[in-house]
Amino acid sequence: MKTENIDNFEQCIKCTICTVYCPVVPVNPAYPGPKQAGPDGERLRIKNNYFFDEALKYCLNCKRCDVACPSGVRISDMIQEARINFSKKKPKLRDMMLASTDFMGTMATPFAPVVNAVLPLKPVKAVLDGVMGIDHRRQFPKYTGTKFETWFKKEAADRQAGFKRHIAYFHGCYVNYNYPQLGKDFVKVMNALGYGVNLIDKEKCCGVAMIVNGMADSAKKNARHNVNALSKAIPGNEKILTSSSTCVLTMRDEYPELLKVDNSAVRDSLALGTKFIFSLIDSGKVKLAFKKDYKARIAYHTPCHLEKLGWGVFSTSVLKMIPGVEFTLLDSNCCGISGTYGFKKENYDASQAIGAPLFEQISRINPDFVACDCETCKWQIEMSTGYTVKNPISILAEALDLEETAKLNNQ
Amino acid sequence: MAQYKENEFDVIVIGGGITGAGTARDCSLRGLRTLLIERNDIADGATGRNHGLLHSGARYAVTDQESATECIQENMILKRVANHCVDDTSGFFITLPEDDLAYQAKFVEACTKAGIKAEVIDPKEAVRLEPSVNPDIIGAVRVPDGSVDPFRLCSSNVVDAKLHGAKVLVYTEVTGFIFEGTNIVGVKVHDKKSGEDAEYRAPITVNAGGIWGHHIAELAGAQIGMFPAKGALLIFAHRVNGIVLNRCRKPANADILVPGDTVCVIGTTSTKVPFEECDNMRVTPDEVQLLISEGEKLAPCLGETRILRAYAGVRPLVSADNDPSGRSISRGIVLFDHEKRDGIGGFITITGGKLMTYRLMAEMATDLVCEKLHSASKCETRTTPLPGSGHGDVREVSKKIWANPTTAQKATAGRVGSLASGIKLKSIEEQSLVCECEEVPESEVDNAIKNLDVHNLVDLRRRTRVGMGTCQGELCACRAAGLLGKAQGCAERARKDLVNFMNERWKGIFPIAWGESLREAEFTEWVYSECLGLSEQE
Amino acid sequence: MKFDTVIIGGGLSGLICGLRLQRSGRKCAIVSAGQNAMHFFSGGFGLLSRMPDGSAVDSPIEAIEGLPAEHPYRKIGKDNVSSYASEVVPMFESCGIKLRGNAVKNGWMISASGLPKRTWLTVYDVDIYETKDFRPGDNILLVNIEGFLDFNTSFIAEALEKKGAKCRIAAVSTDDIRALRKNPSEMRSSNIAKMMSRKDARERFVAEVNKISHDTDTVILPAVFGLKGSEEVEDIRKSVDGNVVFVGTLPPSVPGVRTQMKLKNAFEEAGGVFLMGDKVNGIEVKDGKVVSVSTANLEEIRLEADSFVLASGSYFGHGLVADREKVSETVFGLDVECNGDRNNWYNPDFFKSQAYLSFGAATDNELKGIKNGEVIENLYVAGSVLGGCNPLYEGSGAGIAIMTAMYISDKISSRK
Repeated sequence: MKTENIDNFEQCIKCTICTVYCPVVPVNPAYPGPKQAGPDGERLRIKNNYFFDEALKYCLNCKRCDVACPSGVRISDMIQEARINFSKKKPKLRDMMLASTDFMGTMATPFAPVVNAVLPLKPVKAVLDGVMGIDHRRQFPKYTGTKFETWFKKEAADRQAGFKRHIAYFHGCYVNYNYPQLGKDFVKVMNALGYGVNLIDKEKCCGVAMIVNGMADSAKKNARHNVNALSKAIPGNEKILTSSSTCVLTMRDEYPELLKVDNSAVRDSLALGTKFIFSLIDSGKVKLAFKKDYKARIAYHTPCHLEKLGWGVFSTSVLKMIPGVEFTLLDSNCCGISGTYGFKKENYDASQAIGAPLFEQISRINPDFVACDCETCKWQIEMSTGYTVKNPISILAEALDLEETAKLNNQ
Repeated sequence: MAQYKENEFDVIVIGGGITGAGTARDCSLRGLRTLLIERNDIADGATGRNHGLLHSGARYAVTDQESATECIQENMILKRVANHCVDDTSGFFITLPEDDLAYQAKFVEACTKAGIKAEVIDPKEAVRLEPSVNPDIIGAVRVPDGSVDPFRLCSSNVVDAKLHGAKVLVYTEVTGFIFEGTNIVGVKVHDKKSGEDAEYRAPITVNAGGIWGHHIAELAGAQIGMFPAKGALLIFAHRVNGIVLNRCRKPANADILVPGDTVCVIGTTSTKVPFEECDNMRVTPDEVQLLISEGEKLAPCLGETRILRAYAGVRPLVSADNDPSGRSISRGIVLFDHEKRDGIGGFITITGGKLMTYRLMAEMATDLVCEKLHSASKCETRTTPLPGSGHGDVREVSKKIWANPTTAQKATAGRVGSLASGIKLKSIEEQSLVCECEEVPESEVDNAIKNLDVHNLVDLRRRTRVGMGTCQGELCACRAAGLLGKAQGCAERARKDLVNFMNERWKGIFPIAWGESLREAEFTEWVYSECLGLSEQE
Repeated sequence: MKFDTVIIGGGLSGLICGLRLQRSGRKCAIVSAGQNAMHFFSGGFGLLSRMPDGSAVDSPIEAIEGLPAEHPYRKIGKDNVSSYASEVVPMFESCGIKLRGNAVKNGWMISASGLPKRTWLTVYDVDIYETKDFRPGDNILLVNIEGFLDFNTSFIAEALEKKGAKCRIAAVSTDDIRALRKNPSEMRSSNIAKMMSRKDARERFVAEVNKISHDTDTVILPAVFGLKGSEEVEDIRKSVDGNVVFVGTLPPSVPGVRTQMKLKNAFEEAGGVFLMGDKVNGIEVKDGKVVSVSTANLEEIRLEADSFVLASGSYFGHGLVADREKVSETVFGLDVECNGDRNNWYNPDFFKSQAYLSFGAATDNELKGIKNGEVIENLYVAGSVLGGCNPLYEGSGAGIAIMTAMYISDKISSRK
């Protein structure tokens, strides 16, 4: 009868602040809004689960309502949990494909040149759009020919044992299948700071895309697997880091709160790379040497999930330390993609409308590039504005005098 | 039928509580020209101030077999004829370590004797079925308890009475009786809305005034020794339990937790109060404390659950002895034929009893009315569904009306049953929400104002649940006041009404105003004094 | 993480304090557990409208000396309040927020119910009048947005008709409004404002208003324009025929959200760090001074500072919390001035002065927090978490938030 752990909807005093910050409501009238979908709906669903509304699927799970709520109500969890418990709609093949990042990545990587060449083709897009419901206007992220894991084993793994201190790196699907360069940058930076990098033994997708696509069981399976794999990485590593704000949010907070998978053994060890780097600098444990001639005008976009973690301050603080950086913090605004949401045909227009104010602000500022800790934001902003988006870790890798930094930290 | 003058009826029923409403319905269903008079709003007295428990009768099985038998029979009837007012939750009688488990056997035996299905279940199974229940229980018995929405039930009876030709006067107070010799042949009334006095005539008058029936009988020159027993209750902000929880022991204070609509209710206490307090009951801090501490024994999470409000009602008991608690007085039905009892012709009092047995009470009273009027027509209320009922549960009703019901449509169907088809709810504009906590759309509010004798926001709350949710009127009351003002064509009256309504809400809030409830109260104060500028004027 | 000052609470008080400190060259961080009471802004800032005994106040600064000694204004002192009062309008202006009103004299505004309400300053959207008998126009058209239940035109019309104005009520719809109405639960001010931020939507709305505004001198509209800036308010004023008067709606308040965003942006532009959605969950006090605080999000990375400001708000902001026996201050566990027995917390009349609203953190005469009877030397308390006043009854909420923030930022700036 009663849904466990979500009883803090009673703290809702109907102030309606959440609705001011919901990016979906203004663009999609079919979405009942965070207050109605969350705490108001919860009371009705407890009465009778007939009151579950399938329109809850329009929630982006951006968690902006949670951040804005002055009452501490876990609105987005309540919405996603209601979907997990009550939704009768089975995920479509399309949703399953979008959600199965590991499977798709594993399939696509060996054929990357073909897949990359084929995906943008009109007939293929027509099929994706018409048959699959993946919007034809959406640009697909490219798949890489060589997975990050393969590169790491070949090129980097041997060197790591030589460091005195170590961290474990959960690279995530995006680094592995789409953009190994970020992983390479991560290894470079951590090595320069005096840390050897170890990969997690057989990491799986964090499961975020499964959660929002109604595949809670698969997500739970991945969660249990990952908690186990991460716990094995704790001995010998100071922290378990990610370069993606979404992976860390999912493993740290969604596992226990939404999927009810106990992660207490690993939760405190999880952090975003920039948070760890900041704490090293802040406590004087590492020193940075920057390139003398590095210059960049950077506009930083805080991804929704980083906003929720409250860790944007670490990424921005680290970027602001780089001499030669002209830094602008972009207004808090969802970019509209929210993982796989913006890929779906039915969401494409809403997705672009949600991101419009952000895109406009970026064009107005006209930075050299945009900085952001989230891979899906990167796709969306690059596709919608034409500006390049770089992860703060990659920016650090560019701006640091890596040799000099390594000398300072590897004595 | 004879030609009637406008102010002439076959029967006048005094009291718009459930007994009066039920009697008026029964009378009009039997073809009698009926007038129902209520001094305030319908369901304003004890009808609207109780648990909303659909008794199986189990609670009375050990102490009062007669009541128990009546309850289970009425329970089964109401599940059929009033299904849109009823939530068939089932109930548990639990034994705590501090209770005597031996009572359970006695209890089950008494239930069985009264025709109540009582099934002993494993305590572990009980905890699985009802996770909120105290996990320390050592015994559990399942009985066919449920919950009933008394406002809805009362309103449905009034609606049906009107459909069958009854006239209903609310906010009309009986000030005296018209006698012909020793016979009462009519009533004198004062219309509180217009300020005018009037007279209505009928050969029979039924006093169904609940505790206030004491005073009405006095006006007629009869004495009925009523015993006003106050019962205090607390409403929690959501349904903590899905199944009614009772203690398996002799009935005592605060031993029932009933899930009703979106909330649950714990109660009650029992204290004798003077008659003059019946119109303004207040819940004391001691009562609040007692209700919480006893409630926690039933469902431990109640100690942490937000309380929405505290309220109290007066049981219309008829005193038989000088028991100071009122508990041992029979809850049985009392029907007085004052002609036989006091020599006052044309006057009947129906009292005692309980919400559960209102229909039976109405049947008994109407039988006597018919006997006196020499009418042979038979009672139909055992089988005739109330308007809105008889068309399945909320799912079935919604499915019949709308292809893909929205949340607001479902919520309305949940409240009015099949009558939802008569409310304009098709277009999305008609579903614009007035009350967000309870999902009450504008069209349902309009319907209540037009068709359900709504004169102010409190009446509206009883008909629609506007202002009954967790915000207790914070935003919805103001919206509803706008709609009411528009319908009545008087904004000033609506604004004053809004102030009264917020005070009525506050009366139930401040006895429990701490934690989130105090926080919400502060926010509400802010909205009303800062934004609306409605604080005490200079 | 080291700052000069860490402020707990990102509402009006915390932002004003942080902005003033940041602009004077101090490095500040604000920890804000969610959004704040600016979202329920009436459109008017009250300094002091009514004395605790109920008597009306025309000249708020003059009245300060009549307040009880424990009142925050008395601690700040009349002269300071007077000088801060003159600073408010230019300070808001520098953040892109235009205000109306007179720093030393109370005026009147139209409340959301149409009744006149005393106020000190108003945000630019909302007109301020010198006397209570004001009339915004003679022939007034009140226009609502069709389906918007949070703006009560009939109440407002009735109140203005009492003042002798002729009122006509209308509701206007456009395709944009009809589209918005498809969402029955979200027909709220902020969503209307988001829709009206599109120029084309605004033009269609104005065209409908102008079709019916004949024979009127004044058009009253709900204050649902300009969530991000007052340019849209200006645009409506210019394009609607006749004198335009905006009246506040039920929350959320569009001018309030805008004011909050502007202040936050100004704070961040000045270099301040705003930690949204975070909560202080640990404090470190040594030798009578706060050394650092920890937060839920920052975990092991503590916020260190020379001075701390508690601007966590009242019950609404969870700065204060009541249980069955007492009221507590939630962050530092400061002493709370509270009427003991819960029976004394409330007035059964909802619209009268409620004692619980005057409870709050105890401070010394410099607004330094007191815990267990001892002053915490580097912890200042600002805004509605303070005790000693009933801001709702007095109409002093905004004034206390602003004045205490300014006073405290001066105190901190003058620390060695």
